[in-house]
Amino acid sequence: MNRRQFLRSSAAAATLLKLPVAARAQGRSGTVRVWGEPGPYGGVAVEGMNEWAQKHAPGLKFTIETIPWSDVYPKLMTDLAAGRPAHCLSVESPIAFQLMAEGLLEPVDDLIDRIGRNRLIPGARWEYWGAWKGRQFVVPAHHQSHLLVVRTDALQQAGVTKSPAEWTWHDLLTAARAIKAKTKLFGLCFALGRTIATDYYVISLLHSAGGRMFDAANKFQVVFDSPAAVETFEFIAELFPTMPPGSVGYTFLDVVDSMATGQSGMVFYWGRVFGRAAEVNKEVFNAMEAYQHAAHPRTGKRLNWNDFQGWAIPRENNPYVREIKEALVYIMTSKEWPIRYVHSLVPNVSPVFQDVAQDPRLTAHPFFQTKRRTIFEYYTEALKHASNSGNELLQGINPLAGIVHGRGIIAQGVQQVIIDKRPAREAVKWVHQQLEGVRREHIRLVV
Amino acid sequence: MTTPARSSVSGHVPPARSARSALSDRQLGVLFLLPFVVVATLFVVYPAAESIRLAFYSKLPFRPRLTFVGLDNFRYLLDDPVFRAAALQAVVWTGASIVLQTVCGVAIALLLNQAVRGIHVFRGLLLFPYMVPTVVIALVWRWMFNPEFGIVNASLRATGLVARDIYWLSDPRWAMVSTILLNVWKFTPFVVICVLARLQSIPPELDEAAQVDGAGAWQRLRYITLPQLRTVLVVVIVFRTIWTFNKFEEIYLLTRGGPGTSTFNLAVYAFEQATANLRLGVAAATGVTMLTFLFAGSVLYLWLLRREDT
Repeated sequence: MNRRQFLRSSAAAATLLKLPVAARAQGRSGTVRVWGEPGPYGGVAVEGMNEWAQKHAPGLKFTIETIPWSDVYPKLMTDLAAGRPAHCLSVESPIAFQLMAEGLLEPVDDLIDRIGRNRLIPGARWEYWGAWKGRQFVVPAHHQSHLLVVRTDALQQAGVTKSPAEWTWHDLLTAARAIKAKTKLFGLCFALGRTIATDYYVISLLHSAGGRMFDAANKFQVVFDSPAAVETFEFIAELFPTMPPGSVGYTFLDVVDSMATGQSGMVFYWGRVFGRAAEVNKEVFNAMEAYQHAAHPRTGKRLNWNDFQGWAIPRENNPYVREIKEALVYIMTSKEWPIRYVHSLVPNVSPVFQDVAQDPRLTAHPFFQTKRRTIFEYYTEALKHASNSGNELLQGINPLAGIVHGRGIIAQGVQQVIIDKRPAREAVKWVHQQLEGVRREHIRLVV
Repeated sequence: MTTPARSSVSGHVPPARSARSALSDRQLGVLFLLPFVVVATLFVVYPAAESIRLAFYSKLPFRPRLTFVGLDNFRYLLDDPVFRAAALQAVVWTGASIVLQTVCGVAIALLLNQAVRGIHVFRGLLLFPYMVPTVVIALVWRWMFNPEFGIVNASLRATGLVARDIYWLSDPRWAMVSTILLNVWKFTPFVVICVLARLQSIPPELDEAAQVDGAGAWQRLRYITLPQLRTVLVVVIVFRTIWTFNKFEEIYLLTRGGPGTSTFNLAVYAFEQATANLRLGVAAATGVTMLTFLFAGSVLYLWLLRREDT
């Protein structure tokens, strides 16, 4: 090889080596890691993203990484702290709120008009999914509420005749006791483990009772220590004897199994429980119906915990921001993907766009033949009673809620009452102190 | 290319001669140690030193600022009832696990030391719990311990041993028992292997002589076998104590430290402080506290070994 040949081949080799680097810099090749919670819908969304990639960025591949709920927070925090989170996230809204306030998410204001500013279903607002200081950080994917799910056959056997649609807390407790006493089932089940699931159950009861954790309108002062919180803890203590004793260790899917496998007569749960029951126990599925929660006897509120779940894009070390945004616009404006997304888990994944909700193809799912009323309890009625800890009573986004759930503070408070038999008033004071600690440590986020 | 002429002139030359002559034995030893030193420095010494440094700082993930707080993180630990409970539970979990592992391990090793046909099959099977990944074991045990449809309760009910379901993972007392049982089941084979190896090196003449002198089975175990096992048991117990005290994944995967915080040990506590509570300094201080405990354990181990030698 002479000198000229050597130089020519070296230049060619250098060009070849540079190509992938340049391509990577443009984000046009490689693997885009997408985080999703357990369930098929994350996978469906990623299929849609890959369809976009095939058309517009053939070197790019979107892959779904499914993380169990209980591990989402530690996994996400450690990955973010290490500087290598997934490139696109679908996480619980309070956690997304925490991340956006920390400045870890890419703003997505540029996508709102492209997706359709006025497409949201009535009762929903873009900020519910994640807006902070006037900027949007989360693209809506779906909303999902936990509701009161009952087995009508169990109520019948227990002699409960009043419709759950008219129940107050008192009726709920009476029905749970009756089922426990007169059938072989546990009366009620929801998670009481030291997990985010328990927080979601307790918070909805707290909100119905008129309590809150923080006052978003008043510099996020902690307002947990209230008669409403004491009443909530005491009510759960009253309900507990009707529940499986194992529920003190339960998280989300344990509750699903408790209903779907025929252990409990009633659960508080998201729509996923219907899909699971249809898979494992048709008899149970046939007897199941969902209602809005029992009303608090004084306030009349029957609030749920609605997760306005969407897509967030971590901004640091993320070479694929532009491609993810394009892929999100592609699937959100598609006629087909939002329907497939909703159909992947009926009635858990509620549509967020009016045109999707009104699309005749939506009702092609077989569940609409037998569970139509229940499905619309989740899809539309639940929005009228929506609340969550990251946006308490829908009165203001609160990024501190993510930290509260990460620490399982509310769950630990309830466990003190259930397991340690501590008076509710003391447990409430303990929770209040913990919330004060969160506010003190992270005040920079919100004020 | 070869050098046959040179070899034939100077006679037989060992192949390593030139290398050996360039380096002394001491230098060669250092050279062989070098890879270990580099790896240990990178993955043990540096993280440990960094943890010790972090224990005196306040650090929140995502925020670059590192604030020196002196001994505040250690004060936080002392004031935190969960830390005190976790330390106590760590002692209970470690102590109970080690006692059971040792007793079961010695008993099984004695059984496996018998000259029975096909005994090697049992010896092979014994390694099974030790080989299976902890995450698999923990998930399987979660199902087995499920109070409503787990096989443990079903078996106990079927045999009439219990009338009511036991809430293995949901009742604070039983949750600790469950984690200990898992640990014992998984790590007893380690004790068995070590003890069995020692048993097979005990000269049979000792046992035979005692038998001739009229010693019974219990006396032979008490005065011949157990004294012979003392050295290996010291090593095994000290190692297992250090490892068990440090254990994280079994408890975390089985109970996540719950119900409540009833099965927290210090490793789980440190993890929770770091990832859930985002208090990296407090987590590091917990790690330093554990390091202190384990350092004391190691010193004890070395002292026992030295005493054995002398």
